[in-house]
Parts: sequence; C-alpha cells; structure tokens
Amino acid sequence: MNLILLALGGSIGAISRYLLGLAIMKRFPSPPFPIAMLIVNLLGAGGLGGFFGIYYKSIPLAAYEDPLYLTIGIGFFGAFTTFSTFSVEAVQLYNKKKWAKLGTYVFVSIVGSIICFLIGFKLGKLIV
Amino acid sequence: MTEHWKTLIAIGVGSAIGTIGRYSLNLLTLETGYPFGTIIENLFGSLLLGFLTAWFLVYVPKEWLKAGLGVGLCGGFTTMSTLAADATFLFQTYKPFEAVMYVIGSVLGGILLALVGYFAGSFLAKKIKERNKEVNSA
Repeated sequence: MNLILLALGGSIGAISRYLLGLAIMKRFPSPPFPIAMLIVNLLGAGGLGGFFGIYYKSIPLAAYEDPLYLTIGIGFFGAFTTFSTFSVEAVQLYNKKKWAKLGTYVFVSIVGSIICFLIGFKLGKLIV
Repeated sequence: MTEHWKTLIAIGVGSAIGTIGRYSLNLLTLETGYPFGTIIENLFGSLLLGFLTAWFLVYVPKEWLKAGLGVGLCGGFTTMSTLAADATFLFQTYKPFEAVMYVIGSVLGGILLALVGYFAGSFLAKKIKERNKEVNSA
C-alpha cells in the first residue's frame, strides 16, 4: 500500500515539474540563467514547508507510517523538486565558465529553498 | 499515442521508481538519526544525471526515454524540498554545524559528482563510438 501511495505522489510530482518547467520556458525562452527548475524548487520547498506547518506543526523526522506524509511529503513534493537537475545545470554553467551566474544560481537555489521552506512552514502554522 | 503522452507516462513511471528508491534508502538510514539517505540520493542522482546528459549528446535517444530517465528517474530520486526541510530541522535542533555541513556537503558533492558523471559519460560514449566505427570500417 505504501509503495502505491509513493508511486502515485511521485509520478504526479514529476509530471507537474515537467509541465510547469515547459510553461516557464515557453514564457521565458532565453532567461539569463536556468530559472525554470529554480522556480520549481523554490515553490516545492515552500509547499513542503506549508504542508508540514499545517498538518504537523513541526518537521516530522520519521512519519514513515503516515499515508499522507508518504503521498504528499515524500511522493509529491519530494519528486516535484529535484536536486540532480540543479547539479547538472550548475555543471553546464561551469562548462561555459559563467562564474558569476554559477555562484548566483547555486546560492539562490539553496538558500532560497531553505528560506521558502521556512516561510511556508511559518505561514502554515499560522493558518491552522 | 502521441509523443507528448509517451513522454509524460515515461516521466511518471521513472519518477515512481525513483521515489520508491528514495523512500527505501531513507528507511534504511533512518536509525542513524542524520539525513544520510537524502545525501546519498542527491549525490548519486547527480552523478547519474551528469553521465546521462553527456551520453545522450553522443547517442541521441528517443525523447520519452531521455525524459523518463532524466526528468523521471533522476528527478524523482533526488529532492530539494527534503534538503530544505532537513537543513531547517538540523538548525532548529541546535545543530548548526551539522546543518552547514549537510548543505555544503550536498551542494559541493552534488556538483562535483555531476561533473565527474558528465566527463565519464562523454569519454565513454565517444570511446565506444570510435571503436564501433573502427569495427565497421575494418
């Protein structure tokens, strides 16, 4: 049962990431740096924060038996956001020797995701 | 079936497998009390996607295969939202050193391994292509 929930949340998460990425790239065909996955990751980190804030009021470490945690937390938001594309896009900026863009991209992705997670978390706790 | 639907299904299947893999590794490393699972997933996924990215430049695959493995499998296996949650949790539990090490290790390690994967994929794909050419012309 757990595996079905993970598969469901995970596949919807990745398909949403792909479609949103396409939409962003269509809207901004030649961005200064890879903003599509940056926006996706910031949104997803904020969303996971909101989910934790609303549903748990804390950051659950081991809610591995909770079906909602598996479907939404690990499944949907886990797969909606991605780290591997972040790394490869950083490598592509490195290969092109765009140092300033590389630094900005890495910093905004990582620090931005943590800040968005925190904002989502605090807002979620306020709502309920 | 149109190409677009094929691509979406491949992404869904790839990510389902990636997500279950991520969950399993998280469970296996749960008792360490430190998010080792997420670190391993993000590092290994970066290595694999780096490799595939370079490999597919030489051997251009069908769009659905590329999306299924890259966007789906690697994307679903790795995660940024859990990284943000783990880092925040470590900070909140008064382990700022662990939190900083976790973030820096993930980021530097992930980019470095993606780079290693990229060069390995590029090197191997070109080598194999050259050898096949020699075999064909001989």
